[in-house]
Amino acid sequence: MPKTNTRQKRTDGWVIARKITQAIAFVILFMAVVFSRQNGLPADLADFTIRLSPLAMLSQLLSSKTFLAGSTLSLILLVSSLFFGRAWCGWLCPLGTILDLFNFPKRKIAKQPPESLRNLKYGLLIVILLSAIFGNLTLLLFDPLTIFVRSTTLTILPALDRIIYAIEKLLIKIPLLAEPVFAFDARLRPTFLPSTAPAYQYAFLVGLFFVAIILLNLIAERFWCRYLCPLGALLGLPSRLAIFQRRIKASCSTCGLCENDCPTDTINSQNNYQSDPAECTLCMNCLRSCQKDSLSFSPKWQPAPHQAYDLNRRQFLSSVGISIASVALLSTDWIKRKAKNFLLRPPGVVNENEFLSTCIRCGVCFKVCPTQALQPDFSESGLEGAFTPILVPRNGFCDFGCNACGQNCPVQAIPPLSLEDKRQSKVGHAYIDHNRCLAWSDHINCIVCEEMCPIPQKAITLETGQFTLSDGSLIEVLLPVVDRERCIGCGICENKCPVQGDSAIRVYTL
Amino acid sequence: MKDQSRREFLRNLMLGATTLAAQPILASCGVKPVPETQVPTVTLAATELASTETATEAATETQNQYPYLVVTRGSDAEQMVRQGMQALGGMERFMKSGADVIIKPNICVGYYSFEYAATTNPWVVAALVKMCLESGAKRVRVMDYPFGGTGEQCYKISGIADLVTAAGGEMEVMSSLKFVEMDIPDAVRLKRASIYQDVLTTDLLINVPIAKNHGMAKLTLGLKNLMGTMLNRESIHPSFEKNLVDLATIVRPQLTIIDGIRTLMANGPTGGNLDDVKIQNTLIFSHDIVAADSYATRLFGKTPEYLPYVIKAAERGLGKADLTGLNIKEIFLDA
Repeated sequence: MPKTNTRQKRTDGWVIARKITQAIAFVILFMAVVFSRQNGLPADLADFTIRLSPLAMLSQLLSSKTFLAGSTLSLILLVSSLFFGRAWCGWLCPLGTILDLFNFPKRKIAKQPPESLRNLKYGLLIVILLSAIFGNLTLLLFDPLTIFVRSTTLTILPALDRIIYAIEKLLIKIPLLAEPVFAFDARLRPTFLPSTAPAYQYAFLVGLFFVAIILLNLIAERFWCRYLCPLGALLGLPSRLAIFQRRIKASCSTCGLCENDCPTDTINSQNNYQSDPAECTLCMNCLRSCQKDSLSFSPKWQPAPHQAYDLNRRQFLSSVGISIASVALLSTDWIKRKAKNFLLRPPGVVNENEFLSTCIRCGVCFKVCPTQALQPDFSESGLEGAFTPILVPRNGFCDFGCNACGQNCPVQAIPPLSLEDKRQSKVGHAYIDHNRCLAWSDHINCIVCEEMCPIPQKAITLETGQFTLSDGSLIEVLLPVVDRERCIGCGICENKCPVQGDSAIRVYTL
Repeated sequence: MKDQSRREFLRNLMLGATTLAAQPILASCGVKPVPETQVPTVTLAATELASTETATEAATETQNQYPYLVVTRGSDAEQMVRQGMQALGGMERFMKSGADVIIKPNICVGYYSFEYAATTNPWVVAALVKMCLESGAKRVRVMDYPFGGTGEQCYKISGIADLVTAAGGEMEVMSSLKFVEMDIPDAVRLKRASIYQDVLTTDLLINVPIAKNHGMAKLTLGLKNLMGTMLNRESIHPSFEKNLVDLATIVRPQLTIIDGIRTLMANGPTGGNLDDVKIQNTLIFSHDIVAADSYATRLFGKTPEYLPYVIKAAERGLGKADLTGLNIKEIFLDA
């Protein structure tokens, strides 16, 4: 039994207000991901979460050298940090809320890291922004908002889907429950979850990363926010000028209660219980724990002092060095030279390098693709293109009646094509493997590919072929032939081909 | 204290999980579960409109009161449906008040509106919904399992969702929970398939295909439209004719209405080119799916022999492909 806390906690409206705000913001942002789908939320609302991130928007601007009007939304966060510091982190950030939820106060497995580790996030920020200038956006994988959207889309929702489905499957075996379960399922799908459960390649890597961020809480509360979060670092810079900062009054009895309650441990007993506004999330816990009313967050313009762990010149220069080296190393990756068979980018993407310099790895396209044709990549474009979208036709085809990915991409890395234009835009080109196609190998009339082809004039046409069987007799078989001009590489043929394993018709890179 | 409560929690959790897992067993102790394959036979026996093979003398007699097949020609889709159904004996012939009805149009893709004739005419579907409700149906659901796009999207693009909802029907996006893998007892080749259980258990299943060109089947009509009630339909393509007829032995719509208002003459079943669409303003009604298909070949200037699966279906007693001597009533609305 742990020691009982004899101290009377003051109930403080601010902490309750913060927790309610966190809950509401989390539910709104989570549901925004849930409802981001074909025929779901309007694109501007689906992209709202991602466009809030000044880190993703600034990097994208530096990298693609293209200004997007929608990215100005992120100024809200930057400007608000001039007033309220890192209040975003404490009050609104969905990842921060998850970390508050999965806090293990009595179960720390290691000693708290040294204060100097706090500058790691600034290093990461510099590496991200400098790499962006050189056209590399790989490290936006560390942006908390992309982490939230990506992890929710690729792991949390599919897992939830499987759990619900398994329970439903179990319950419908009970005669009386079957009808209510079917009714429940009809309400659930396709409004909240897709009709068929999604599956994504490399999703386990995203899941592990997400779990690792949570487990770091075992070392220190909000470990991620203190030491790693590059968005926190970016917001920390203007926070030093913030008008609302935590300030100690003369009445402070140096009792140390607030120090124990601080989730980012920025209240420093060595320094008169002052705190660093670049670390403080304005969670208001200290306001609650203070017995003497010796704290205030009242407005006053007084920039915060320099901290011992701020990046020094040497650390700054090594961050610059690391950025240059890593961008250079990534560009020497063998995968850049490798002949790529199946690097199929979403419709409308023309230039691979341009695409890699624009895509912020947020994962919105995976969520809105109704067939889960868009999958996070790793094998085709390597580390640099990790978790950028590629089309995997065997998993899902590019729906001829859909242009959701381009319409919803928050940074237009996938061009916002009209449906008419998307229907003309070539993703790849289908080739038939005559060794495996049933028509040639087994002399069977199958022609599923021809049936499925959505092109008005059919990009797969039929010829009649004659084959001599082993007994010498002749047999006529319908043979599918791909028309190079008409095929747009949507991949429905590859998706529906009844041949086991790899399809006998496959879409190849143009 | 704390350890104790955790242990208790785990114990309760295990208990709960075991109970949950044991529920199918508990359930089976109560009501004896009906074997899956028996479900359709039971319901079909009650409807007396199964097939020519199983029809009793009495049933044949009731059928004789009405034309075997009705064809309406005109320009007002709803009137064509109403007149055709009236000639066939009214919706009351096929359902009792309080019945649960499923209408199965062809909504195979979500690329273009109904004008492109890849999906069933929405006014025809809506008129059927209205008539069922007027005859006292408890619930009328409309559904298909599209291959090109999500159900939601295809229902919307086809124009069917709007009209059906306005008419008081429900669009059901087919749930993977309701596809049950089952034996097909009379099958020659397709011995097992995952079939949407509601189309087997519903009181009335109305099959409303659109007549159109199709690479494999040559024409997709009533029988071919049944493929939207099963999973993995691509696997049916090798040995297509046998498989399709096998499916038709278990999925037995009591009424088939072939939409020949706008017919897709080439590049089916997906379409996309208005030049391939021919306006024929025809609807074909019959309780016999094979006869309806057989008649519909005329829309394409063909005879039933053009479609081997129609002949095979007739050979296996699912209906009549040879229409000679049958009572066929043609109604011209605009004349």
